Amino acid sequence: MLFTQALLAGVTNGFVYALVGLGIAVIFKGSHVINAMQGELAVVGAATAVFAAAIWGLPLWLAVVAGALTGMAIAILVELGPIRALFARRAREESFLLLTVGLGFTFSAGVLYLFGREEHLLPPLGDEVYEVFGAIIREHALWVIGISAALILALRLFYRHTHLGLSMMAASIDPDGAATTGINVRAMRTATFALGGLLAALAGLLVAPLIGVGYQMGPLLTLKGFAAAILGGLSNPLGALVGGLVIGILEAMSIVFVSSGMKDAVALTLLIVIMIFVPDGILGRAGRKGG
Amino acid sequence: MLPNKTSLAPPGIAGELSAQRLRTTRPSAAALSVLALAAGVFLILPMVLERHAVDLLVFCGLYAIAGAGVGFLLGQGGIVNLGQAAFYGIGGYASAYCSARLGWPAPAGIAIGIVLSLAIAALIGQPILRLSGYFLALATLALGIICTNIYFEADFITGGTLGVPGVPKLAVGGVIFDTPEKFYYLVWPIAFATILAMHNLMGSRIGLALQAMRDAPDAAMVMAIDNARLKLWIFMLSSGLGALSGSLFAHYVGFVNVDSFGVDKSILFLLVPVIGGASVPAGVIVGALFIGLVPELLSTLGDIHRVLFGLALVASVVFFPDGLWGLGRDLTGLVRRRSGATRGETTP
Repeated sequence: MLFTQALLAGVTNGFVYALVGLGIAVIFKGSHVINAMQGELAVVGAATAVFAAAIWGLPLWLAVVAGALTGMAIAILVELGPIRALFARRAREESFLLLTVGLGFTFSAGVLYLFGREEHLLPPLGDEVYEVFGAIIREHALWVIGISAALILALRLFYRHTHLGLSMMAASIDPDGAATTGINVRAMRTATFALGGLLAALAGLLVAPLIGVGYQMGPLLTLKGFAAAILGGLSNPLGALVGGLVIGILEAMSIVFVSSGMKDAVALTLLIVIMIFVPDGILGRAGRKGG
Repeated sequence: MLPNKTSLAPPGIAGELSAQRLRTTRPSAAALSVLALAAGVFLILPMVLERHAVDLLVFCGLYAIAGAGVGFLLGQGGIVNLGQAAFYGIGGYASAYCSARLGWPAPAGIAIGIVLSLAIAALIGQPILRLSGYFLALATLALGIICTNIYFEADFITGGTLGVPGVPKLAVGGVIFDTPEKFYYLVWPIAFATILAMHNLMGSRIGLALQAMRDAPDAAMVMAIDNARLKLWIFMLSSGLGALSGSLFAHYVGFVNVDSFGVDKSILFLLVPVIGGASVPAGVIVGALFIGLVPELLSTLGDIHRVLFGLALVASVVFFPDGLWGLGRDLTGLVRRRSGATRGETTP
């Protein structure tokens, strides 16, 4: 029963990691930048919603929209400002990484300054508790799974069938070719960041009713999302889902069979092992160099 | 070696190296007098500053030692190391455990910390240094978090959150380094020696091979430079310095716990060369002073200081790609060129 309980928790977390990883993958696909502040964007989105509801007294749905738009707006501003400056300078890969790490640090400090040290909870989408094979699952966890799955599906359709999605792909794969067909390559990169920021904030908003969102959880969330993204394949939305589930379930199993304190260590060791042993099947040789 | 210069027109390796040589081996009279002045100020500082300020400077020295390793990786190897706190922790815990729990002499603890760090770096470096770019950076970040996790769990050695109290003060030849002033005269000479050693290393065969590896890896390989081994060496060097700094930290503060070795400390050590400038080993001095002193100055503004500190980092990545050291070099270069130009006009 403990096993089933852990499995359910792992699956729920897995969908959250998948969403974070999806955001990282979307930004990488569109700009060849690994966004190391993805976890912090999730935290910022969730914290904004919590405080919009608590302090300004906004209705919950409006607070959630505000949180999602905040994540998106920050990502857009980051792209328009520092990211463009680095692209203009043709900065090296490590500069982009240092930039996003530094921005992540700044955002987490901002959350600490504005919202304090404690962990913030959002009210869940439903209060019911269901029993599955002797274990219990909260209604909100089912919502997380359902909404994440719908988002992943929608993203797939977006990239395959909409004009904007196809333009974003084209601008990334062949910037010069895309420009000759009249695609605004720089605007497409901004759109990519907007989408990534939105996904990050949504991940934070979805997980906030289940576990408290604190200012310092960014790096861990980024790393687990990154592990999900490369495990599943950075270019394939469904891959991030598979990757997220593997990480989430493995983490849950390590709580049962190793110790709860070691779950992060197990997940991150897996990340290193994946990067070393299955790097090519995941990102493809051409894509690996990034920048 | 500014990134914008290299990306516009990458000079040949030979050209860049000879330029480097010229810059490093012929200090001008002005440079020497500045150096002498700096040395004087360095010696006098603990006597004129109040104790709290000296205490801060001691921490700057610790950051310079650990940051020098990270800076060498970044500047000479192009490797972003986000896991230095892991080795800082190994040094800290080795010293604390050996001297506070086992009662061994301090040098034994320091040596064990360094050897343990080198061994672990060799073991872990072997697989993860095959990665590059983003992958390698994130692998080191993961490594740092894994180690923090282990420090937390292995409380029979580390004491978990309670930590290890009662680490004895360092004593060398009858001198007990029990005040910030005395420790200042211990930690900074070690930091300067480290930086000088790296400076010399840069001019050596290994340093030249490193530059070749960083700027033209394929050409380096053709010239039989073993990239993998070089990377492993500098990774081990960096982690050894991290351990040394951690050991000194343990003896200075007298207490270690898991909070001292978290991800934020790794980021801080990376900031030392990023803000100071990674292309020259001496850049880490500027970076360490910035990291150690600026948050303190900003803390009078209240809790916002962490945000401002983060923004300072972002600004330095965007506007000063070669750090404050590079900025200073560009400015003095500008002044020198301008004064040279006017001299040229007056004496045709």
